[in-house]
Amino acid sequence: MNVASITAPVRDWASEAIGAWDRFWFTPRRPTTLCALRIATGLMLLYTHVVLASDLLSFLGPNAWIDNEVSRQLHSGAFGGAGDWGQSYLWYISSPAALWTHQIVTILVTLAFAAGFLTRISAPAAWFLQLMYLHRLTGALFGLDQIVTYAVMYLMIAPCGSRFSVDAWLRDHFHDRFGDRRWFHWLLPSPAPSVAANVATRLFQLHLCVMYLFGGLAKARGQMWWDGTAMWFAVGNYEYQSLDLTWIASYPRLFSILTHVTLFWEIFYCALVWPRLTRPVILAMAVAVHGGIALFLGMITFGTMMIIANMIFLKPEWLERWLGRGGDEPQRVEHAAAS
Amino acid sequence: MTAEPTTRSKTLKRRPVAARSTSSDGSADQRASSSSQTRASDSPELDSPELNERRPRFRRLVRLGLSVLIVGHLLAVFLPPLAFQTRGPLGSSPSVETLLAPLRGYGQFLYIDRGYAFFAPDPGPSHLIGVAISDGSGEPREHMFPDLERQWPRLLYHRHFMLSEFLHEIHQPPGPPPELEEASPEEAEAWARARARFRRVHDSMVEHLEYKHPGKQVAIRRIEHAIPNFLEYMEDPIPLDDPRLYNVLLDRPRRPEGPPGDELPGGPPTDELPTDGLPGGPPEMLRLREEVAAP
Repeated sequence: MNVASITAPVRDWASEAIGAWDRFWFTPRRPTTLCALRIATGLMLLYTHVVLASDLLSFLGPNAWIDNEVSRQLHSGAFGGAGDWGQSYLWYISSPAALWTHQIVTILVTLAFAAGFLTRISAPAAWFLQLMYLHRLTGALFGLDQIVTYAVMYLMIAPCGSRFSVDAWLRDHFHDRFGDRRWFHWLLPSPAPSVAANVATRLFQLHLCVMYLFGGLAKARGQMWWDGTAMWFAVGNYEYQSLDLTWIASYPRLFSILTHVTLFWEIFYCALVWPRLTRPVILAMAVAVHGGIALFLGMITFGTMMIIANMIFLKPEWLERWLGRGGDEPQRVEHAAAS
Repeated sequence: MTAEPTTRSKTLKRRPVAARSTSSDGSADQRASSSSQTRASDSPELDSPELNERRPRFRRLVRLGLSVLIVGHLLAVFLPPLAFQTRGPLGSSPSVETLLAPLRGYGQFLYIDRGYAFFAPDPGPSHLIGVAISDGSGEPREHMFPDLERQWPRLLYHRHFMLSEFLHEIHQPPGPPPELEEASPEEAEAWARARARFRRVHDSMVEHLEYKHPGKQVAIRRIEHAIPNFLEYMEDPIPLDDPRLYNVLLDRPRRPEGPPGDELPGGPPTDELPTDGLPGGPPEMLRLREEVAAP
C-alpha cells in the first residue's frame, strides 16, 4: 500500500463531488417556471397589500393595534436581549398621508412585479417593501407572509420577467432599436437558460425542504401527531374552521391516518421530492395537504401560496410542453441526480 | 458582416446564450446570437490562448465565490429552525448558537429566522381577546376578536387572530415574586422585562381601541377557546362556539416554578373591567368560567 492508493480515491471522490455540486447549482436552466411563479406570487403579494390597505391605520402608524413605538421596541432589545436586524423605516412614519402614499406606491410596485414590468427593478423593490412591512407588522404575521416573502426573494435573483410579462413584450418591441445595448439586455433579459434561474430555483427548492423538514420535526415532538388526534384538534378549532369537518370525530381511523400521513410527508419531503419516481406523489400530497388547509382551516391564502411554492419543482420544459410551446431546442443538461 | 470588435461584442461573445433575443412567446430569434458569433469569428484576439486560459479560471473563481454565498445563505436558512428545536430549559445548543451567531442578523433582516413550527408541537386551543367598551352610563358592550363578522376578508380576520395569539404568547404574569428576586436576580430581571413587553403591547391595544371609540372606557382580556377531544365530542357534540368552551385567562401573579393556576394569594387581577356606575353586576363576559390556562 502506498500513499497514492489512499489519496487517489479521495481525490476522485472530491472531484466527483465538486462536479455534482457544479451541475446542481451552475447548470443553466430556463426561467419558464420562475416566470409563471412570478405572476402567482405577485398577485398574492398584491392581495396582501390590498387587504392591509382596507384597515391600514389599524396596523400602521401611531394608533395601530401595536403602535410604531411598541413595534420598534419589540426589535430594539428594549425588553431584553440585543436588538435585532429586523428594522423598518415604517416605525418612523406617523402621518396618515405618508402612510397611504407609501401603501399606494407599494401596491403599484407589486403590481408591476406581478405583471413583469421592469422586473429587474420592481422585483427587488417589491421584496424590500415587503420586508419593511414584515418588520413593522410584528404580531400580525403568519405562514403566508413567510412563504410569499421567500418566493419574491428568490424570484428577484432570476430573470423572472423574461416571459409571460410586459418586459417580454418590450424586449420584442424595442429589440431592433436597442438590442445592441448592454443595459437593454440587463433590463429586459431573454428567457434563455441561465445560471441565475437555476440558482434561484435550487435555493427555493432547498428552502422548502428546510421548511417541511423542521415543520415535521417540530410536530414529531408533540403527542397528538403520534397518537393520531392532531387532525381532530385542527378541524375542531373554531377560529380556523371555514368548512365544518367535525363529522370526522366519528371516524378515528380516518383522522389518525391523515395525521400520520401529514407528519411523515413533512419529515420525508426533503428526501422524496427529488427522485423522479416519488416527486409526483409528494407534490400531489402537497396539493392535498395545502388544499385542505385552504378549504377547511380558513387559510386560503396560505394554502394557495404553499401550493404555488411547490410548483418550483416543476421542470421548465414540462411547463412549456403543457403550455404547448416548444420554445428553443431543449437544453438537455439535466443529470439523473439533479432533475 | 465583418464589424470591428467592440467592447459590446466582447460581452456578447462571452455570453452567447444570454445574448439571444427572444420574442414574447418564447420562440428563438437568432439575430443577436448570429451577429455576435460573426463578430467573434472576425476577432482573433478574442480567441487567443491567453484569453481562453483566463476564462475557465474566471469561471472557477465565480463559481467558488457563488458557492460560498450559497452555503452561507443555506446555513442562514437551516440554522434558525434548528436553533428553535434545540432550545431547552438551559438554553440553546452551544454548537448551534456558535454557528448561527455570525448569520443571525442576516437571517433576521431577511425574515428567514423562523421555526416553521406550524400546528406544532401540538395543535392547541385558540386565544382570543375579549373587548369591553363602556361609556359609563350603562352595560359595557362586549365582543371578542377575531370576529369574522367584523373582519373581512379572511386574511384581515387572520391578521386579528394572529394579534390575539401574539398577546397570549408573550403573556407574563405580574411579578417577579420577591422570592425570585432573592434567589436569582437575573431571572427576576428577565421576568420584569417580559412583563414590561406584555404590558406595552396590551396597553397599545387598549389605546388603539380607545382611539377607535373616543370618549369610551376600554378593557381587554385574554380568552382561551378550548377544543373538546373527539371522545367528548362524540358523546356530546356541542357546537364549537358553545360558551362552556371559553375560559377567561386572568392576569394574576403566580409562583415562579408553579404551574398555571398556582397563584400567589392576594394580588387582584390587573384586567378588571371598569365597574363604576354599572348597574346589574359585572358584564356577561366576566361571568364566563374563569380559569387560568392549562399548559
